[in-house]
Amino acid sequence: MNPDLADSLTEICGPDAVIVDRDRLLAYESDGLTAYRHRPGAVVLPRTTSQVRRAVLAVARHGLAVVPRGAGTGLSGGAVALDGALVLGTARMDRIVEIDAPNRRAVVQPGVVNADLSAALRPYGLHYAPDPSSQSACTLGGNVGENSGGPHCLKHGVTSRHVTGLEIVLSDGSVARLGGMGGEAEAGYDLVGVVVGSEGCFGVVTEIEVGLLPLPEGVRTLLGIFDRIEDAARAVSEVVGVGLLPAAMEIIDGPTIRAVEESVFAAGYPIDAGAALVIEFDGVDAGLDEESARAAGICDRMGAREVRRARSEEERAALWKGRKKAFGAMGRIAPDLLVQDATVPRTALPSTLRGIAEIAARYRLSVANVFHAGDGNLHPNIVFDRRNREESGRVECASAEIMRLCVGAGGTITGEHGVGLDKRRYMELVCGPAELKAMRGVRLVFDPAGTMNPGKVLPDAPGGGGDQGGAQGGPSTRRSVGGGRVRGVGSVLDLLPAGQALVGEEAAEWLGGSGAEAVVFPESAEEVAALVRRAAESSVPLLPAGSGSRLGWAGGWPSGTGVVVVSTRRMASLVHYEPADLTLTAAAGMRWRNLDAKLRLKAQWLPLETPGLWSGTVGGAVARGGAGPLRTRYGAVRDSVLGLEVVTGAGEVLRLGGRVVKNVAGFDLVRLFTGSYGTLGIVTQASMRLFPRPEVDLTLCFEGARERMLEGAAALRASLLPVAAAELHDRSVAGREGRAALAVRVLGGAAEAEDVRTRAEATVGIEPVDVLLGNESESFHRRATEVAPEPLRSAVVARREDSVSSRLADGIKGLFDPHRVLPRRP
Amino acid sequence: MKLSEDGLARALAEQDDALANCVHCGFCLPACPTYRRLGDEADSPRGRLYLMRAIVEGRLDAGSDAFETHISRCLGCRACEPACPAGVEYGRLLELARQVGGSVRPPPRISRLLLATFGTKWASRLAMLGARLLRASRIPDLLTWAVSRVRRRSGEESAIESESHWARQRSTARWRSLWLAFAMVSASAPPRRLFAKVRRRQVASDAAAAADLGRSRPRGTSTADDRPTVGVLAGCVQAGLFSRVNAATERVLTANGYRALRVRAQGCCGALHAHGGDLGRARALARRHIAAFEQAGVDFVASNASGCGAAMADYGSLLDDDDAIAESARDFAARVRDVSQLLAERGDRAGAPLPLRVTYDPPCHLLHAQGVAEAPLAVLQSIPELEVVPLADAAECCGGAGIYGLANPELGGWIGADKVHSALKTGAEAVVTGNPGCMMQIGAGLALAGSRVRTVHLVEMLDESYRLGGVYGDTQGPGAR
Repeated sequence: MNPDLADSLTEICGPDAVIVDRDRLLAYESDGLTAYRHRPGAVVLPRTTSQVRRAVLAVARHGLAVVPRGAGTGLSGGAVALDGALVLGTARMDRIVEIDAPNRRAVVQPGVVNADLSAALRPYGLHYAPDPSSQSACTLGGNVGENSGGPHCLKHGVTSRHVTGLEIVLSDGSVARLGGMGGEAEAGYDLVGVVVGSEGCFGVVTEIEVGLLPLPEGVRTLLGIFDRIEDAARAVSEVVGVGLLPAAMEIIDGPTIRAVEESVFAAGYPIDAGAALVIEFDGVDAGLDEESARAAGICDRMGAREVRRARSEEERAALWKGRKKAFGAMGRIAPDLLVQDATVPRTALPSTLRGIAEIAARYRLSVANVFHAGDGNLHPNIVFDRRNREESGRVECASAEIMRLCVGAGGTITGEHGVGLDKRRYMELVCGPAELKAMRGVRLVFDPAGTMNPGKVLPDAPGGGGDQGGAQGGPSTRRSVGGGRVRGVGSVLDLLPAGQALVGEEAAEWLGGSGAEAVVFPESAEEVAALVRRAAESSVPLLPAGSGSRLGWAGGWPSGTGVVVVSTRRMASLVHYEPADLTLTAAAGMRWRNLDAKLRLKAQWLPLETPGLWSGTVGGAVARGGAGPLRTRYGAVRDSVLGLEVVTGAGEVLRLGGRVVKNVAGFDLVRLFTGSYGTLGIVTQASMRLFPRPEVDLTLCFEGARERMLEGAAALRASLLPVAAAELHDRSVAGREGRAALAVRVLGGAAEAEDVRTRAEATVGIEPVDVLLGNESESFHRRATEVAPEPLRSAVVARREDSVSSRLADGIKGLFDPHRVLPRRP
Repeated sequence: MKLSEDGLARALAEQDDALANCVHCGFCLPACPTYRRLGDEADSPRGRLYLMRAIVEGRLDAGSDAFETHISRCLGCRACEPACPAGVEYGRLLELARQVGGSVRPPPRISRLLLATFGTKWASRLAMLGARLLRASRIPDLLTWAVSRVRRRSGEESAIESESHWARQRSTARWRSLWLAFAMVSASAPPRRLFAKVRRRQVASDAAAAADLGRSRPRGTSTADDRPTVGVLAGCVQAGLFSRVNAATERVLTANGYRALRVRAQGCCGALHAHGGDLGRARALARRHIAAFEQAGVDFVASNASGCGAAMADYGSLLDDDDAIAESARDFAARVRDVSQLLAERGDRAGAPLPLRVTYDPPCHLLHAQGVAEAPLAVLQSIPELEVVPLADAAECCGGAGIYGLANPELGGWIGADKVHSALKTGAEAVVTGNPGCMMQIGAGLALAGSRVRTVHLVEMLDESYRLGGVYGDTQGPGAR
């Protein structure tokens, strides 16, 4: 460690905040995964953003790298410093900056411990939903870095769904404020979304704004004991299949049960059981008994030996005990324990578990499974002894095979632990060269110097470290200067058969009069890619479109003349739909209304309700992003998109994400393209997360003076009552000004909905003038969003882009659309 | 020297499996008072275990600054043990680590002095006599008051939490040890004013009725002696400065149907030595202690000092290697109870009402090391009209930690200041706890902060209730002051 640097760090952060003694640095050698040991060059423990900024600058001057580290509980080796890099620990940045209960948001420093935040929120009747198993120790900064999950993410979603704003210090010492004030990115790229899960490779997160949820009113927990783990896994699929949405579903397999029962943590599970399944429901008290009874019935039908139910908080803790203590118990029986992490579609669980058992047998290893079954997030734990080299080798091989098995089943290599150091070598299983190059490129936009947590997440670039992304390549790096080529629109149209293009009058007619040279209808991603490449060569501006319903969007038209509209209408198939997985993959040109009809048959839905949704296509919905009134319950568009096939402005086809709910393999580029309005690429296929359609959908319509209605809405908010949406519609009834209607939507099971309805009426304090039921309710809201939505959000959704985030956005635009073929960035 | 050093390192190496139980998950970090304040992972249980492992692996020198600093900075509060999913016996490993470290690099002079004093009967008695005389002179009271005035004027308390302040304090550490020692002696005085307040309040209420209540349910009056016998640990600090608590312990146990025995030959239990890593002396003291109680033949060994209780409950593992005594040590350890456990087992016997608002601070060696959480609260709740308000972060150490507060006045003071802060926030008139060390540390902290809130031993509280309630008969009990 350079003494100059040590001195300047001491000057910046204080004498007790800098550790350079080699012996004292030993404690920072590993994180939660002890297989990797790398001693950092120094550790610095700043308290404020300004200290972080100055420390990062000082380190940059000395050409060293920075590794952000929270509590060091990660399980992928992400928080260890390679090559004597400096560890920047956030342990002292442990202040809860603000709790804004009325707007259900909180601002924290990154070193705040996850469980401490929820404890601080309890008096307000709120909580921060993601609950990784290490929540008593792990920090929110670490959660943001890893996009952490947890048992209760089945219903409430992982970290990225709850993070609404970030402050991040970049490697050049600049500070960007991304998102914030409770709103999602209304315009501009979802930089918050791409930073979440970036494992410290983009910068040091110094402040985090999170959304909060009301504490559930009631909880019901049950434990099914099964003879065979496959039966437990089938029960999981069945519970989801019948439309129930538990808060958590966790499986503990036989070997784990035996380890727990033989340890000091014995939880009273039968020692000869094949598996135990914990199912937990939370929410409005009224509906919970019915839901848990149905789930218990399913367990019975799937061959459960017995089903236990918790009647008190103590009993609930007892049922969970075997799950919560599993790792500790395994740690006790084994000299070493490798906690693996992978995700598969829920329906692939039984076959994957069989496959894992077979791999274990083949390598003569003992593997125990304890996992988030509801999300399909597996944690096979391999027990071994590090001192036995030959056995360690077998563990290595078995791990690789398990990864391949999961990817083959439609899953991914990590659901919540991250890639870090440990899984870089598996990244190629889920990402092709184009995707890896794109991820490298985005990383360089944030960290051009490559000094933020280097050597993590992405495998080394082919041909050494030299090829660090940069421009997206494409057919030619410059606009074509080729003499022999045909220039102009004609050259683009030449690529497609006659039936796939409209020109002149026909084009104008299709576009409803707006001026464009032509409309083309490619039929595959490859065709789109060819079009984009040709357009780049010929300097033809493109305008991505679906059905063309929202082409009037301001700023949508690319500059220059001779615009070609690329419509995805010919790509309209439902590529993949597995109701029990609650996921689907649809081609971009599929009409939303057709998609909804298909989902309706299986009693599922995708309740995004964004403006213009119903007249457009799947691709259009993804490209516009945003959120509808049901956001608090179902999330925004960005929370529903699991994977994308997209053609970038450089003409490359990227297949990003996947079709599993939890996926942290690499940087989350899906977030960048979602809501980018086609300025970065043309979406050709999207995988989305679905929800069971609630049994009851009703809308209470209240009418009265505007002030009175506002009061009612505020009272509903303050009551923390789980109404799905409350919208205010200004209207002049019978010519009287100043009146308004308040539409309160209630969704859920029969008992739950009835209870919420009664309480909502009491809270607003007047009788509703009308109650809409079922389809009537649904179409009422659909009409409302199509016309002029006024989502009820007291937080100011003002997204001011500062110069740093604007620079980042420009960088990303330049990366994916180097030839400016696509529309300008808003 | 070199030979024995290797031998000790081997002792730590024999713990390889115990060390390997630590899976490095980090769950202990937020439970650790030093990590919470310093944010340095080397000052966390996981980090300290890692350093121990590095010694075993030969990657770290037992005499290194790093090992000395971080191992000695540990309070030994063992709050990490309940947080550990793998059940690592951190306390035991820490003792061993301190022994290994101490063998190559002697601990600070003040620690050695204190351990030597308590390890020798006459020295300990002499020191305690001196402390009693000092206390009687009222000089510590005066000095504590003066320091509190100065500190208040310089606005010190408000800055106590900042880490730069902590760094500054290091230079004044020696002075702080001295004030603290005086304030601790001052805080060991009986809470006369507090109990006088209770009596004044009772004048208004119907004290006679309460007295009847106590008398109406006599217990343990039968002379046929089938009562379980209890040997009360006299202890060194307790016997020296808290003899009133020892006497009260005997009284309340007798009132609850136990036969309290005075075990004359007992000495220091060796807790301070074991926790400080002076395992040789700890074993010697433990042997003597076991022999004394064995001779007396008791059913239970009652402790009113949780540090001692925890050490005695660990005698089994402390003397595991000594075949001659291992069996008796295990037998002894099995008989050890905290006084609150014995009282709670008998159900609640009501004394007079104590119309006070108090808060309870569980001693670490009771809560974390012995896992006794409910019994003391049950005893407190059995006292009529005593309002027990919850203490924020109660489970966290007060920074006293045996001789830690004296040896590390700056960090111990920082941790203690937080405890004082949360105690004052409760608005309680007294802080009840179950260990003389905690009583003196918190009491000193309160006094230095200029507060008149007192620390009271749990048993004292119950004893006062019994005494006022006439449980001991009309003559205000045998130990009437």
